This record gives sequence, structure tokens and C-alpha cells, in this order.
Amino acid sequence: MMKLRNRLSEPTKLQIPMAPMIDIVFLLLIFFMLNLKIVSPEGNFNINLPISAPSAVAAEFTLPEIKVGMVSDRQGNLMQLTLGSKNLGNDEMAFERLNREILKIIGRPGNPLAKDIEVEIDADYETQYKYVVKAISNCTGRLDTGSKQVARYVEKIKFAPPHKPKA
Amino acid sequence: MKMRKIEMGFTEPDMTPMIDIVFQLLTFFMIAINFENTKADERVKLPKDSLAKPPVVKPEHELVLNFGYQRFPSGELRKSRPEVFYNERYVDVYEISPELEQEKRVMERVHGQNAIKDVTVLIRADSEIPTGLVQELIRKCQEAGFSKFSLRATSEEA
Repeated sequence: MMKLRNRLSEPTKLQIPMAPMIDIVFLLLIFFMLNLKIVSPEGNFNINLPISAPSAVAAEFTLPEIKVGMVSDRQGNLMQLTLGSKNLGNDEMAFERLNREILKIIGRPGNPLAKDIEVEIDADYETQYKYVVKAISNCTGRLDTGSKQVARYVEKIKFAPPHKPKA
Repeated sequence: MKMRKIEMGFTEPDMTPMIDIVFQLLTFFMIAINFENTKADERVKLPKDSLAKPPVVKPEHELVLNFGYQRFPSGELRKSRPEVFYNERYVDVYEISPELEQEKRVMERVHGQNAIKDVTVLIRADSEIPTGLVQELIRKCQEAGFSKFSLRATSEEA
């Protein structure tokens, strides 16, 4: 008699079955964990490629054209990096030098006067694409290693007409 | 005499903290997973560059072209010429024009007649491809009517 009264009147805490929920949650967790791909984020370099040939009319004040040249061997390895007529070498430091030369030309990062400066990349047919991207990167700016801030140099990059492959 | 009853065997552990943590993890993985990069092709070994930052403004419409080598699992090249990976097919860069025309038609049908001008072509090219072939691909795209181009690189972990 006592027992029955107890059960009917006393508000008991309702037990929610936890086990199925935990099962599902673990399944979801494992699903998302396995689907997660650790990829480093990708970024873009915009390039400026007008379809028609640039008209001579637009050149009202002609800015000094910056021409980055890349000479390669048949395997596509970089042999020489040039800026205008200046030889910058072909080692790791060549791109550093390019970066410094570009900074010299534009004066200071983000210079509004340098907004219209355009860099033309003129690479041999065989040059491996990674060198071109490296050159573009060193023309567009510099990553400050301390603050992780990017100092912008030249915004406009274009390609010179392609070369013929070496016979 | 009062004696405390000792419960034998089964005791209910407190699940609340564990469930909290599991939900946290679940949320983390759900957010960290990016469905954005589904178009990214792992076969293409992009060049690395520390300046390659994800764009702040996403282009209105984009066409991703994966341009790389067929490789063996060991990393050696299966073919000496790079090809465009287009819908599970391998297309030579000199024969890509029909596909580009088709892309253009689809873009025009979906986004309107002049949408082609707003399409950014994202070129995901392998780091070892000769530059001349990348330029050839760009030229083919220009012939098809595309005018905005972006080169992709992975941001290097410093």
C-alpha cells in the first residue's frame, strides 16, 4: 500500500534514455572527423589580360613599364631572372632581389602613385609555372613575417605574348 | 540501528560533461569542414606561396579549370604532357575549346546573356607545368570569351 502511494503522487525525475543519443552523436562526430580534410587554404592572384591589344591612345602619361623576364632551360628550371635589363640571377635570392627592386620602383607599399604601374611577366615557354607564380607574388607584395600583414606593391600583372617552345 | 545500504554493482556515471565535450567537438568539425573546396582537385599540385590569401570578395561567377599531370600514386608522371581535368575526363589544352564553348553556353543560359563578362576563370595549374601551356590555356579561354583570370596557389604554412 505504501509503495503504490509513493509512486503515484510523488513527482519523479523523468529519465531520458541517453544511450541512443550518444550513439548518434558519436556517429556524427566520427563522420565529420573522417570527412575533414586538412588542406591549407588557397588564394588567388588576379592577372590582367585584356583581350584586345592595348591601344596606344590610353598611354597618356606613360609610366615606366616593368618587365620581368624569365629564362629557363629545356626542363623548365629557372636559368635567369631579369628585371628590365638587370640580371637578378637564378638562385633563391633572385626573387628577394626582385622584391626589393619592385619596392624601390614604387617607393613605398601602397603608394597611390604606383597604382597604375603594371608589371609584365615574360617567361620562356618551358619555365615551370611555380617560378611564374613566385615572380607574380614577389611583384604583388611582401608578407611581413612578424605581423603577418601583407604589404601591397603592384596590383596589375600581365603576361607578355607567349614564346615558342625551344626546338 | 541504521545501516547505509551499499549499492552493489551498477552506478550511473555522470554523462553531462562528456556530452558537452562531444557536442563541442561535433560543432567544431561541422564548422571546420569546408564544402567550398569541393571543386579543388587533389591531383593538381598547386604552387605554394605565402602571399596567396583567400580572396576577401568572392567573384560573382567562377569557372575552375584544373590543369595538371596524371600521376602514379608514387608521384611519378604517368604522361609527360599535362592535361585539363574536365568532368572526370582528361582533355589536352589544344582541344579544350569545345568544352569552354559549352561552359560559356551554360553560363549564358543560367546567368543571362552578358554573364560571360563577369565570370572569373580560376586556373589551378600544377607547379611544374611549362608556362607556355598555361598561357595557351588562357588564350583558349580568351577565344571563348572569358576575360577575367585568377591564378591559384596554396598558402604556404610558414
